[in-house]
Amino acid sequence: MIAWIVIAFVSLCCFWAILSYNRLVTSRNDVRNAWSQIDVQLKRRYDLIPNLVAAVKGYMQHEKDVLENVVRARAEAMSTANLPKKATAEESLTSSLKSLFVIIEKYPVLKASDNVLRLQEDLVATENRIAFARQLYNDLVANYQIRCEIFPDMMIAQTFAFQSFEYFRADITEKKATPSAELS
Amino acid sequence: MPITFIDIERQKNWRIGLFFCLLIFLYFLFAFIIAQTIVFLFGWSNVFFVGSKIKYIAAITAFALTVSSVHFGISAFTAVDRVVEQIRAGVPDDEDGVHRVLLNVMDEIHIASGSKRQIRCLVIPTLSLNALAVTDLKGDAVIAITEGLLSRLKRDQLEAVMAHEAYHIFSGDCLEASVATSLFGVYAAAIEGVKDTVVQEFRAVPFLVLFWFLNSLGEIVTMFISREREYRADAGAVRITRNPVALAEALNLIAGRWSGSGFIHEGLEMLCISSPIPDHHDESEDWWDDLMSTHPPIGKRVDVLLQMARVSHSTLAGREKPRAVFQPEIEQLYYALDSEDTWIGPFRFSELTAFPWFTGSTKVSMIPTPSEFDDSVRSVDDIVRERIPVNLNMRTTFLCPACRQPLMKEAYVDTSVDRCVFCRGVLIDNDRIFRILARREIKCDERFRTLMRAVTADSLRSLTIRKQRLKERKLVHLTLCPRCGRSMFRSFYSYAFLIELDKCSMCRVTWFDADELDMLQCLIENKITDALVDRA
Ligand SMILES: [Zn+2]
Ligand SMILES: [Zn+2]
Ligand SMILES: [Zn+2]
Repeated sequence: MIAWIVIAFVSLCCFWAILSYNRLVTSRNDVRNAWSQIDVQLKRRYDLIPNLVAAVKGYMQHEKDVLENVVRARAEAMSTANLPKKATAEESLTSSLKSLFVIIEKYPVLKASDNVLRLQEDLVATENRIAFARQLYNDLVANYQIRCEIFPDMMIAQTFAFQSFEYFRADITEKKATPSAELS
Repeated sequence: MPITFIDIERQKNWRIGLFFCLLIFLYFLFAFIIAQTIVFLFGWSNVFFVGSKIKYIAAITAFALTVSSVHFGISAFTAVDRVVEQIRAGVPDDEDGVHRVLLNVMDEIHIASGSKRQIRCLVIPTLSLNALAVTDLKGDAVIAITEGLLSRLKRDQLEAVMAHEAYHIFSGDCLEASVATSLFGVYAAAIEGVKDTVVQEFRAVPFLVLFWFLNSLGEIVTMFISREREYRADAGAVRITRNPVALAEALNLIAGRWSGSGFIHEGLEMLCISSPIPDHHDESEDWWDDLMSTHPPIGKRVDVLLQMARVSHSTLAGREKPRAVFQPEIEQLYYALDSEDTWIGPFRFSELTAFPWFTGSTKVSMIPTPSEFDDSVRSVDDIVRERIPVNLNMRTTFLCPACRQPLMKEAYVDTSVDRCVFCRGVLIDNDRIFRILARREIKCDERFRTLMRAVTADSLRSLTIRKQRLKERKLVHLTLCPRCGRSMFRSFYSYAFLIELDKCSMCRVTWFDADELDMLQCLIENKITDALVDRA
């Protein structure tokens, strides 16, 4: 009788362990997918920026420094790999782009150019995609982290050494005041 | 948490089973009544009761089951196609600035929700403000938004509206509503369309009866769809975009405007973001209205959203996408010196070109009978030279039907038209007409309105005075399609808007003379405001 109870208990534990392990793996894969989405969108932004800079360069004689800012921020963001630092670099790239858009608004020639408008819309869309992908990623990391830390699942997570993920958000200490400009 | 929160809130679609049972019951009732009538009328009781009562009931049940399965299957599997056909929604145009934003926003919603379910977005060609979502058992999912709403929403507001509709689809409550709609509502809508074409004849009576019948059945089904789902979708949209204020603004914008009555049929209201035909049920909240209505009061929804954002009602400052404000000008009319050296007129530029003696050196003037050395007398060449645009690489290969000069491609309110710089006539693709009408704000002053009334009054008599004058001179004004060269078909824009236009049915384009597009827009907008005033 006791033997049966033990067997039942052990098999129940095994069943739970498999279930919990699978849940953790799914959760981890979700996080990884979300990260790859961010990566795709960041790359897309790196590719679009040179096109926009080339398209507006000819017209912007007085605001050379804004363009240089954008180019510099892009280079910096591309070269940083460390996650919180990269988030900060991406953030400053976003704000430099915002100030570029504000200036484009001032040039009727640029606003009338179909090419510039297209590039601008593509960049705004990419910018939003990055923000949304990041929101999703951070939510999923939080979700995963909670799973790894709450009591019974924690044992599985530690036994199989499930990695932990960093949030993709800028260091609050380094955050500079960004010019408030509307993107739309 | 995007993926997970939708998973948790995914509802069991038990109502779909309920609809099926309802359908079986209805067909059973129907078959039973018919069978009993036959038995009663013809005294066939011995034929029907040859076996037993059980066989009789079983036969009726089998009939009801078969017919309702076919009905349910067709409805539930083709809901998307039927609704899309009903509202005449079209695929967004990648060449169009506003539609490109829509496609991008749809993509952003996919990313933000983390869902792998692919949703198509479509555009409904109407000036009303509404959006709807529809799915079917095939797994097809569509969000359709009207051109009017698209032209008024800023990007973040559009995101909020699309997220609201996407949430309906992700959470599964859209499937219930779609099935409920497609069982009766879609057919009611289709019959209403047919009914209108035969309205004056007695043949319309069966349509009217059928329409009333389907509509009532549709209303019964509506009772099972709770209005709570709109609150839930609003909350879901906020979870996706994290921007309750934008959604509140969008709803505020829709409230009190024309949300599609007459274009989007009542039967489809369950799918819409705001009911196209607001009735008294939508404005109050006792249990009966809760049962009969599909949408909660829009003001209440806005309040809930604002509470979420912890901002007060006063912060809703009517933020709306700025639209191109357009003041129509009355086209310059010219007097011309004809072959017999007399001044005739006034004519439009395009009309002048129809005279055989018209050349580049023809003298024209803006005043009736000028002296020879008057400043206002100029040659046609001079005027043409003034109007030649600086940028010649926008030149198309199509020729203006009046002046035989190449049309210029002109970017206009995020789309493009082919315009003749001499007579100011425009060639517009049919599906772009609504985009232009939706995206610009027209200021019709009294002078223009008078002209407009005169033209429509003339149209009613079907011949304008100017055309008569041309006729006396035996000139045939036959417009050839600039695209394909066939002669265009001259007809009214619609029987509600009596403006005569040249259309080519092969290329699906319309030619507007100088001020006809503006006139059309003035007419349509006045009609809409009249209709809104009538209803209020
Ligand atoms: Zn809704
Ligand atoms: Zn012309
Ligand atoms: Zn044609």
